[in-house]
Amino acid sequence: MGGVYAVISIGLTLVYGVMGIVNFAQAEFLMIGMFVSWFAWAYLGLDPVLAAPLSFAVAFGIGWLVQGQLIARVLKAPSVAQIFLTVGLLIVIENGSLLLFGSQFRSVTTSYQTMSLSLGALFISVPYLIAFGMSLACGLALWWFMRTSWFGRAMRATAQNPMAAQLMGIDTALMYKIAFALGVGLTAFGGAVILPYVTVFPGVGGQFVVLMFTVVVLGGLGSVAGAVVGGLAVGVIQALSSLFFPIQLQNLILFIVFIFVLAVRPQGLVGASR
Amino acid sequence: MTILDVRGISRRFGGLQALSDVTFSVPKGQIVGLIGPNGAGKTTFFSTLVGLIRPDSGSIQLDGTSVVGQKPHKVAALGMTKTFQNVALFAESSVLDNVLTAGLLRHDVETARREALICLDRVGLKSVAHKLAGNLSFPERARVELARALCTGPKVLLLDEVMAALNPVEMQEIMDLIRSLRDDGITLLVVEHHMRAIMTICDRILVLNFGRLLADGTPEQVANDPVVVEAYLGRSMEAHK
Amino acid sequence: MKRWIAILAAIAIAAVLPLLLSPTGYWIRVLTFTLLFAAMAQVWNIIGGLANQTSLGHAAFFGIGAYTSTILVLKFGISPWIGMFAGGFLGGIAALIIAVPTMRLQGHYFALATLAFGEVMRVIANVWTSLTGGPVGLSVPFVPPSIAAYSFKQLLPHAYIALIALIIVTFIFEAIRRSAMGYRLRAIKENPAAAEVIGIDTTKVKLQTAVISGVLMAMLGTLYAQVAVFFDPDTVFSAASISIRVALIAILGGVGTAIGPILGALFIIPVEELMNDLFSSGAAGLSQLIFGVILIAVILWRPRGFITVFDSLMARFSNKARS
Ligand SMILES: Nc1ncnc2c1ncn2[C@@H]1O[C@H](COP(=O)(O)OP(=O)(O)O)[C@@H](O)[C@H]1O
Ligand SMILES: [Mg+2]
Repeated sequence: MGGVYAVISIGLTLVYGVMGIVNFAQAEFLMIGMFVSWFAWAYLGLDPVLAAPLSFAVAFGIGWLVQGQLIARVLKAPSVAQIFLTVGLLIVIENGSLLLFGSQFRSVTTSYQTMSLSLGALFISVPYLIAFGMSLACGLALWWFMRTSWFGRAMRATAQNPMAAQLMGIDTALMYKIAFALGVGLTAFGGAVILPYVTVFPGVGGQFVVLMFTVVVLGGLGSVAGAVVGGLAVGVIQALSSLFFPIQLQNLILFIVFIFVLAVRPQGLVGASR
Repeated sequence: MTILDVRGISRRFGGLQALSDVTFSVPKGQIVGLIGPNGAGKTTFFSTLVGLIRPDSGSIQLDGTSVVGQKPHKVAALGMTKTFQNVALFAESSVLDNVLTAGLLRHDVETARREALICLDRVGLKSVAHKLAGNLSFPERARVELARALCTGPKVLLLDEVMAALNPVEMQEIMDLIRSLRDDGITLLVVEHHMRAIMTICDRILVLNFGRLLADGTPEQVANDPVVVEAYLGRSMEAHK
Repeated sequence: MKRWIAILAAIAIAAVLPLLLSPTGYWIRVLTFTLLFAAMAQVWNIIGGLANQTSLGHAAFFGIGAYTSTILVLKFGISPWIGMFAGGFLGGIAALIIAVPTMRLQGHYFALATLAFGEVMRVIANVWTSLTGGPVGLSVPFVPPSIAAYSFKQLLPHAYIALIALIIVTFIFEAIRRSAMGYRLRAIKENPAAAEVIGIDTTKVKLQTAVISGVLMAMLGTLYAQVAVFFDPDTVFSAASISIRVALIAILGGVGTAIGPILGALFIIPVEELMNDLFSSGAAGLSQLIFGVILIAVILWRPRGFITVFDSLMARFSNKARS
């Protein structure tokens, strides 16, 4: 699970890293990604994992509009306005999809759903493995993109000093749009790859929201590498606590880890201080 | 009588030794100038004195009480506060409220208000008391800084470039104010780049360079100290290269 | 002077209004909840507005208050009036527990940490079945109506209690704002380092604020329990319908002002009710959707809340009056 957590959380950390905004609606894009993938499976017969790029594209488009039309206007506003704008977005997306798709649970069936590989005493389920592999590929692609492309460098420049970036001829508004669209796109991608083993419904984002934030905070808000490490760490914490505690308490442990890390090291366990 | 006693203060920022082994003591009622090139560590030193920065080593005694490791509000209560070089006013509050808030350290709201008006009068800003601090000009804001620090009722007052960007008349007013504060029994440490001003008002001057105390003496002694002259000239020649 | 007349007039209207509504009807319920949520938003405003710490976890204290008084009645037959203070005490302790580690955090970080704290409390209430009854919830036991037992046949007394609570917390808010503490909070909000240097114990002031807000919020939790009669962990510890909602009310109305939360509640609660009514037959989620749209619109249009609309209207009005 850790790898998937990393991908859905990278999106969140990217948005924060570049714009300094915590997107409370991020998990809703996970839900969007899942729905896109489900519809692709149900009507086009696409395998959910193959539909992941489509999910990415749809969320990218929505993200582009949301950034350009809504979030761009509160970039300089007090943090209260930013927080509540994305909270508003969360409410709108969640209830919008409730309105469109109804509240029923939807899941897919795939040929590999119940398969698992045995590695000695260890059984690894195939859908988990595929999700992990896809996430890893996606994470590497992003990392490579940010490292080597002009966009990546321009984006990092924007994150560090928007004013200077602008003076250097970088269109920062465009960078923000790309960052936000890319961020929510990645989360939607993660949504698609987990569809084989998670059912989708309009409230599904709520199940992942804490998880995403914990991953990101563990790794250090704004740090992509941190999100990967954080994702793995949360995967491990969950696996370990599932050995000892009932399900509700697992969440509790996650919450407490989350508050503790925020309080002690707001810059994250691995991230350097910003 | 010694009011401020500083022994062996050092502080590193990563690879940079911002302060190294700074030692001196100040008798009550002196005006002490602290000069040195940009980046010498003057502001860092003031921040260390008031507790915003914790020194790596060394001791600081204010009127016989150790203040190292104390929080700034404790240090202020013990009687030492500073102004901020890059002005740190409460921009959305009125000038009066800025100063009044400092007065709350030792008074209730009503008394603090009266005290604040007195302090504003002393820095010549009574007429703008009800303007928003954020709307003032830079030199005015520096004077609000001064009034605010003054209103905490300090024994030792650290002024970080309050005369920057003042015209000669205003500068003279501030110099007179500094003297009158001294006459009230307040001890002052003053960082200033304007040499003539420093030389006229200070009883004594400390020179800081690369975090190290280079010289400590009367204005004449310091002005004629070859080490100081070299430090300044060396630096400025580098700058011209 | 004029202000005082306006305030007295508003209180008078508020005091008469409940009498005009049918005592068993629907609107008295809406009014009671409007007043209660206004009071909750005002309490949030103490920390969210004066200290500028956007708490998204106030449900934690609210739920503690609701559960404390109700458990005390159920298990020991202690009057909710006393339970209210016991809840306030526990709410204050909870506020201290969360404030100590999160105090240094600002903006988004503080919001996230407090949100998680509210969720921690919700999970605990769900799991600790022996004390709270778990997900099933608790019912406030029926006792013969009397003021001492905080039990009434009708909603009317509840409406008045909520009104009195709103008046009290508004006075507390205003008193803090004008006191030395208010000046200190503004200083901390605008420049924490400078505030310390001029002698403000920023840690202590923030803790005090958090505790005051936590205590009052918990006490309002008791009021809610007595009106609602039945509640479960997911209602009183809800992030969406308590924590975020009270913050929202204050923000939409005008954060940091005494009138803001009242304006916000007067708008939001009835509008929500109205939409639930209008669309309850229609598709699920529509009323919430519209609510979200309104929220986004208001934030983009008036980031400082309705109070600014109010202010500019007043300004225009007085300009006209003068000319
Ligand atoms: N918080 C800090 N972190 C790292 N370096 C710092 C910090 N504060 C000051 N410095 C460095 O310490 C040196 C001294 O700075 P400062 O005290 O502001 O000098 P001055 O006031 O004499 O011009 C400078 O090189 C500055 O960059
Ligand atoms: Mg300096």
